[in-house]
Amino acid sequence: MTTTVSAAGLSLRYGSTHALDDVSLRLGEGVTGLLGPNGAGKTTLLRVLATALPADSGAFTVLGHDPGTTAGRQAVRRVLGYLPQTPGFHPDFTAFEFVDYVAILKELTDRGGRHREVRRVLEEVDLSDVRGKRIKKLSGGMRQRVALAAALVGDPGFLVLDEPTVGLDPEQRMRFRELIARAGEGRTVLLSTHQTEDVAMLCHRVVVMAGGTVRFDGTPAELTARAAGRVWSGTERDPAAMAGWRTGLGAFRNVGDPPPGAELVEPTLEDGYLITLDGMAAEVAA
Amino acid sequence: MTTGVLGQLVRPVLRALPRRALGAGAGAGLLLAALPRLLSDDPDQWTALLVLRGAALALALGLTFLLDDPARQVTVAVPTRRMLRTALRTALVVPLAALWWTAVVLLIPSEIRPPVGALTLEAAAAAVVALAASATAVRLTDEAEPGQRVAIALLATSMAAALLFPENWGLFAAPKDKWWAVGHDHWAFVLAGAALVWAACGPEPVRRRRLRLIPS
Repeated sequence: MTTTVSAAGLSLRYGSTHALDDVSLRLGEGVTGLLGPNGAGKTTLLRVLATALPADSGAFTVLGHDPGTTAGRQAVRRVLGYLPQTPGFHPDFTAFEFVDYVAILKELTDRGGRHREVRRVLEEVDLSDVRGKRIKKLSGGMRQRVALAAALVGDPGFLVLDEPTVGLDPEQRMRFRELIARAGEGRTVLLSTHQTEDVAMLCHRVVVMAGGTVRFDGTPAELTARAAGRVWSGTERDPAAMAGWRTGLGAFRNVGDPPPGAELVEPTLEDGYLITLDGMAAEVAA
Repeated sequence: MTTGVLGQLVRPVLRALPRRALGAGAGAGLLLAALPRLLSDDPDQWTALLVLRGAALALALGLTFLLDDPARQVTVAVPTRRMLRTALRTALVVPLAALWWTAVVLLIPSEIRPPVGALTLEAAAAAVVALAASATAVRLTDEAEPGQRVAIALLATSMAAALLFPENWGLFAAPKDKWWAVGHDHWAFVLAGAALVWAACGPEPVRRRRLRLIPS
């Protein structure tokens, strides 16, 4: 893997809370998923990498640019697309006007070329038909795609997406997956999400964060493999299991340390994620 | 590159201005300034002073919304610096504010009009305090639209200042008071101090405490 984004020892505290605690990671081309519970530090890490928030210590580079100086930060921002967790808009702008506005802020000053680029990204997110519509008249899913178009405008090499599928219905989520998969072709995408299915379907690599630290960094298959031999089916919820629920077929799916003779089943990425978080909880308890 | 960006930004920034809040402040100020003519056949200089100060405060309250940007999070990581965008917003509003103040002053009958230069200094100080407070809120918080909170804080501070500040500070003196001149020295200090705070809040910091550089 050719490293495009490299972070070393990133730390950031809010009062006595370690939002990031010595986080190091390397990213390459393609979509990397960032999983973690609420308060894990995912959004903070994304904001730091997007140069929206300076870290207390540590350093990182994006496509060879170091944001440790004003000039370096500007250079990073020229190759960056950022979709925040709660994107806001000027509601009276049309979709076209808003993306055009962001394109100007991204220093695309040639009017003709910029307008072509805005049309291209609106086409890419399937909003060409409503590009003249005011944002306040668009649905939540369409607004989210406007925000994605704003992140994509200027063809950034590094795309930071903070929970882009939250609040979307299943159809919109599928559409977003297509967009993110396309966006990951030839560029580095860091995707924060609570949806393990998104990671399983989109990402070549997954990072799990909890308590401001990286708990896992590997492929989705490796994360899934963490739960191998630790998922079993039974007629009732095993009280010793760390998690267990009745499936649609009526049997209980248990995750944890199986009793002898348990009927083991194929683990999923979500099982691996749960096992990883449980390992962390056990460390804290010890 | 900056000049090109600035030129292209004028139109969208004009459209993105919080017109409703600015308009409300300006409208309330004009209404206040018109009151002496509307309500009395024989308005006095004290009333004129009061409504001019009220009008200046109304505009300042409107200006606390100037830096509100609902799209702040989407545009937080673009190469065009926030300071440049703030400067453009301010530059677009300043000529209109100057015209507005002229209209406000002209609405006061000339025979009861207080010294215009001194009152303009007060109005300018109030406006810059409002902008400095908004810039501070933008600099220190992640809020996209801190205007409302800042406006409430500014209004409360103004009221508290009018009630609690010692008379010999002269900030709210009348033209015939002995503290009038010294009061306007103090207004000049307020203006300069607020301008300094505003300027200090402009740049986005590269580091929070210390960003350790790694060898590339």
